[in-house]
Order: sequence, then C-alpha cells, then structure tokens
Amino acid sequence: MLPTPNTIVPDYRNVPHSHRLPTSHREVQRTFTKLSRQSLASLANQWLAKKNRDFCRPYLLGDRRLDGGDDDDEQYTPAQSHEELQEIYKQLAARKGGKREIQHRILDGDWRTGISMYQLATAEIQYLLDHTNSLRWTAKRLAKIPNGKNLSLDMEVTNDSEHLPRFQAQTFMANLARELTPLMKAHYLLIKIKTMPMTILRVYIHDSPYSTEASLALDNGSSDTARAVFFIWPNGSNFVYSSIANHFGQVISDDGRHLRDIVQQAIPKAFSRPSARYQLASTNFTTKSLDALLAYRGPGKSNAASGGWSIFQDHNFSQNALDFVASQNDHGKEKTGTRKDGAVGATAKAGPGRPKHSLEDKETSAAKRRREVAAGRFGSSAQPNDGLGLERVEVRIDDAFPAMPGAADDADADTSNVNEQPANRNRRGRPSLLDRSLDEIEELEDGDAWVPDVRVVFQGSHVFAGVRQLVEQGVVDGEKMPGWMTGEAGVTIGAVKQGRIRTKSGQVPGACV
Amino acid sequence: MATVESLDDDIGHLRDRIATLQAHRANLTSILLSQPHLPTRLEQRPVLHERNRRNAAKLVQRQSNRNLENVYRACAGVTAYRVKDPDPCAVDNGNILGVRVDVSVGGRFVETYHVLFNRPNAAHKTTLKIHKHTVPPCIPLHPLANKWLPLTRKSAEEPREQDLVKFGRRLRKELASWHLRLEALEKLRKDAQLPGPIAPRDGLHAGSEPGIVLNAFISDDEDSQEEEGSDEQDDAPRISSIDGDAAVREITLIWSNGRVGLFKVTKDGEVDKAAVRTKEGTRDASLSSKALGRIDGLIQRLEA
Repeated sequence: MLPTPNTIVPDYRNVPHSHRLPTSHREVQRTFTKLSRQSLASLANQWLAKKNRDFCRPYLLGDRRLDGGDDDDEQYTPAQSHEELQEIYKQLAARKGGKREIQHRILDGDWRTGISMYQLATAEIQYLLDHTNSLRWTAKRLAKIPNGKNLSLDMEVTNDSEHLPRFQAQTFMANLARELTPLMKAHYLLIKIKTMPMTILRVYIHDSPYSTEASLALDNGSSDTARAVFFIWPNGSNFVYSSIANHFGQVISDDGRHLRDIVQQAIPKAFSRPSARYQLASTNFTTKSLDALLAYRGPGKSNAASGGWSIFQDHNFSQNALDFVASQNDHGKEKTGTRKDGAVGATAKAGPGRPKHSLEDKETSAAKRRREVAAGRFGSSAQPNDGLGLERVEVRIDDAFPAMPGAADDADADTSNVNEQPANRNRRGRPSLLDRSLDEIEELEDGDAWVPDVRVVFQGSHVFAGVRQLVEQGVVDGEKMPGWMTGEAGVTIGAVKQGRIRTKSGQVPGACV
Repeated sequence: MATVESLDDDIGHLRDRIATLQAHRANLTSILLSQPHLPTRLEQRPVLHERNRRNAAKLVQRQSNRNLENVYRACAGVTAYRVKDPDPCAVDNGNILGVRVDVSVGGRFVETYHVLFNRPNAAHKTTLKIHKHTVPPCIPLHPLANKWLPLTRKSAEEPREQDLVKFGRRLRKELASWHLRLEALEKLRKDAQLPGPIAPRDGLHAGSEPGIVLNAFISDDEDSQEEEGSDEQDDAPRISSIDGDAAVREITLIWSNGRVGLFKVTKDGEVDKAAVRTKEGTRDASLSSKALGRIDGLIQRLEA
C-alpha cells in the first residue's frame, strides 16, 4: 500500500491529540504498566466521556464490521457503544481485582487499534498526580528582562498594572508551537489541575520531520530515551518547574536533554510580548517532591517564610485580631515562645524558661530544652511526615578557614559562651568582612584569609527534618547552628558566606520581578 | 447490647462537649482577666501564698498585653512588632522588624500577612530590607518595595529615601483589594448558582478528571465538529463555570452553549475589558459591552 503523497512530506504541524501509537509501543507499555487499577479505570472513563471521544476512539463493534474482521481469536468482544463501555469500566472500577485485568482490557481490547497521544498524555499526568515524587523538578523563575526605556514604568504599581507574566492558554500554545515546529514535531497537552494549584504542560517530543501517525509508530525501535517533558506553572506566580519524564531506570540521554532545553528556551519566548520580554532565571531549587515545590516556589504564603519563619504562615503566631483568648496552657504558644522572648529583650536562645511544664513528660530537662530549641529554630516546618521533604541540599562554604593554631581552642570556646555572638564572628578571623555586602566573590581572592572550596551535601528523604532530629538528639547544637541549616533560605543549592546563604543584593526573597 | 458505633458516638459527643466547654472556659477566663482594676484588687486582697498573687498578676498582664495588641491590630490594620532572629549568623544581631497586615472582609478578619525586615547596612541603620515575608506572589511586593523601600546601589553611597509607612499602606491596599476580589468571585459563583471550587486534595480519585484540558483546540482533527452540542438547543444558556486566576485579575466565564467570556478586572474591582465569543468564534459585542462595570453585578448584567 503506497502512502498518500501528503503523508511523507515534511510539514509544519503539531502532532494532534488523536494520532495513535500502537499498543506495543514502548512508551505505551511503560506508562500503562505503572498505573494503578483505580487510575486506569478512571482514565478509561474520562476517555469515553463525550468531549474526549474524538481523541480516544475505542474499538467498537461498528469498527469491526468496517474491517470485515477476523474475530476468531479475540479475547474481548468489542462493545456496541461508548455508553456500554463506560458501564463496563464503571463496574470494573467498583470491583476489586488486579490492575492487569483493566490494563489488558484497554490495550488488547477496547483500544487495540492504538493509544492516542491524548490518552498517553493523560495517563502520564495521572501517574504524576498519583505519585507526586516520581520525577525530579527544577524550579525556574520567569524574570522580566529589564527594558532600559521604561524601567521605572515596569515597577509602577497602579490600579491595573500586572507584575506577573500573563498566561493565556491559547496565545501561549500558539506561540510555543510557532517556536518549536521548525525544530521538531511535538504533541502538547496543557491541563489545569483542579486538585492542586497548578497547570501542567506535557510536551511529547517527536524528533522527526513528519507529524504522521506512521512516523510516530516508527521510532519504536530507535534509542530508548525519555521523550516527554513536563512543565508546571503554579497558579498566580512566575515560577516554572521543568522535568524530563523518564521512566524508572531509563537514561536521560544528551539528545533528550538537548530537546528539553530547546523546549525550555521556547517557553519564555512564548510568554513574551512586545515590550515585555521574559527569560528563565534559576532559583537554585531542585527536588522530587511536588508538594515541596508548591511550598517553596508556589502560589501561597510559604515561599519566603520557610524554616523557623514558618510560624508566620499559620495562625499559630498570627491569631485573629479579634481573638482575645490568651490561653495559658496552649502548646502552640509555647513553640513561638523563643522568638517572642527574644522580642521582649532576652537573649535569642534563652528558650522559654518554663521548666515546670516538663512534669508530665518523661524526658530529661536537657532533652526537653533541645526540643524547644529545635521548635524555636524550625517552627512548624521540617516535620518528618509533612510531605515537604527535600532529598538533596548542597552548599559551598565561602567563609575563611579558621586559623589553624587556634582551631581547637575555638571549638572549646564556642561551647562555653553562647550569648556572645559578635565575639563569635570576630573569631572567624574576618572582622572586616562582617559589615560589607555579600555579593562580590572577588573579595575572597583579595582577602588574605584562606578560603578552601568546602562543600557540604545533605541527602536523605527529608533533609531538614533530619537536621531537626539531630538538633533534638543533641548531635547538632541548635543554638549555634546557622540559619541555612533550618531550610529557611529556601534553596537546595547555594553558597554560604558568614553563615548565610549568599543572595543577590536587593533581591526580595521569593520575589516576583 | 451497646454496639461499638453507639459507644464511638458517645465518645465523640463527649469529646465535642469537652471542646465546647474548654472554649467556653477560655473565653470566661479572658473576660475575667480583662476586668478593669483587677491588678489593683489583686494587690490589695490578702492571699495565702505570695506566689499565687504573682502568678495571677502575670496572667492579668499577659491578657492586657493581648488586648492592647488586638485593639491596635483591629483598628490600624497595619502594625509593627519586633522579633529576634534565632540564627546566630543573622545580620544586625538578628534584630528584625515585623510588619503585620490584617485583612478584614465583610466584618471579619480573614488573613494576616507578615513582612519581616532586617537592617543589612550597619552604617545606615535606618535602611530596611525585606528579610522574610508571607505575602503570596500574586501581590506585587517587589515593585512596592522597590518604590518605597529602595536599597543602596553599589555605586551610590548614600541610601535612598525609604518610606515604610507608605509601603505598609500600599501593601495593605493590595492585599485587601485582592481579598475583596476573591470574595467577589465567590459571590459571582453564588449568583450563578455554581458550586464553589473543589477543596484542594479532595476527591482526586472520585473518577472525575484531574483537570481541564486547555489546549483541546490544538487538535488538527478535521472531523471534530460533530454532535457534542446536544444540550446547546436550550433556549437560555446557563453559566456552567466561573474561573478566575490567582490574583482575580481575569475572570473566565463559560456558558453551557460553548460561549466563552474573558473579563479583565482592575485591582479595585472594575471590569474594564471584556471579550465574549460564541462557540463559532464570533465576537458578541453586546454582551461584552454589558459586562463593563463593577464586578459585583457582572452576572446580573450578563443575564439581563
């Protein structure tokens, strides 16, 4: 059978939703074996919904008649209508059983002619929502490129000014496709999630000059690399998370990375409009947990108040202005005590000196004190089960190496006098650096102190919960621990100078430019 | 025989009752402690133990502090306080100035936001810099800070003029107008008799779709123009969804006959731009012009 002429000509179209991959395609197999029974049934029902039918045609009895088909060895008889299928999948969802049952029914039965791009995309997104820790995400920020002419105008806050990039799905998709189609063919699915405050874009990269169904199926045998790229926009913010959708154990080849970069470069261009150009800026944040991303780079209050400052997010510290009940034995109140005491004028680390409470607790007063110190430093954050775990935090220490002969003495002195912070800093040997701004790395080379390249990597399922536990166990001194160890800097990679994560000068934390 | 359920029920009821009574007690305590002249009376009356007197005085003091703070917060809307950064490496010995914005909508305080400042410049002690904050990113905090709290550039030695009061005022205005817009959006939903938005993390597996596909239009399907408009023939199309962006600066209305309306809202709640398109893509100019005006009456104007 000769292909019709228009199928072999390279074209400038996107891969439409309705193009199908054969069910034996590796991507299809991988995605469908990962999904749970419940998700599969729910997906099948979505595909059969009236509005999606164009994109997800099942194999019905009518199709078999058209085929004039061979129906001897078939496992599943085709259904009469969409409604009948919907009923079947509803029953399957209600019943208990293995996921294979539904998986086989979908792949070998009702969609034996192929899984459409739309189905594959929704299936992968379903998996992503089921397993929010399945991919590694990098958070970026859409930053406006300063425009010399109307710089002051850009920063003006008026009644109808916008400080965030405008996100219009249609315009954005059209712009993105215009940027990308000359370079590659791709299938796009943009979906606004109801249950989480975000919008997901999945780009299935089809590295071919053709956008036909036949060419999609063709690259089955070629190299086994990740083809899909995910981007997430949290609602009402200027962050973008990007990730390569690699299956477990699948390598991300240079090709895949390169294609991802092409898509990534096209995204700020698709957001840009005349006199408002955007670029992607790094935010030094990479994690696997979507929940952590939404907490640290999300749409809510928590972006710039992590670590111990988390007490300012909830009603723990900011009670309702009309709530006059100042209860005595409120435990939440105790937790904020450290800071409150500090505000009154006592030393920061004195901890709430209320040892009477420990009567009902069996722990020793030292352990209790450590716990309270940890509560003061970490606030309500860094709980092992809060689901906001960062797996890897890496910092480079840019402070001068402590002077060698006095090093041991320093350590001793540190434990003895707790409250003399200025003295503490002086002993680091760089009093001149104390008051200077932090933004010039050249200062390091100019200074006469030895600054080796020391890097510290924390790794685990929830790094800062681990640090908190170490503080509670007394392994780490909670009072002298620098602030970045509580996670309050909100980065997963950074340089530490004078005990603080170095930031760009004048930058508001978690800011939207 | 008492079943497990009824016992559980009883326990639940008891727990509820305990909670109510505890709240009641706390309320009464604060009323008692707020009595005028209570400290003087405490001073005058004889007590068995001096310690009890001291304890009572402390409680009274705490309550009166709380009352004072609340009165300021409730009346001023923007209040300042001091906190101590426990970080031993914090700049300026961890002295932090907090600014608290209380937003009230419809006679109740709905949310509190904090902006925490430190003084990064030891030479210019009055220069404030935002250290931490709990303001959502849809509020233009950074432009506001740039305007009213500019920091020194590296070249210029002199700090620029900062105006914390104006900053606080503008920030409060932004936050309050945002909450009012959120409220107005909720009211629009109520006007159109739509259920509220799904609570986050609810019913992900209810068999419903996880989200709304925004680019279904991109399909190059030639034959997608079939049925699907079966419920189109109703004489009066209903509004089937009302959606706003996080800052409620843009509201999207979808009617049951596929008509889509986009409305731009200014910060003070005025619909200043509107575009309504029918399913075929033609513009509905009369509806668009009807939509302009206050956000509150949008539904009534559109349905009129």
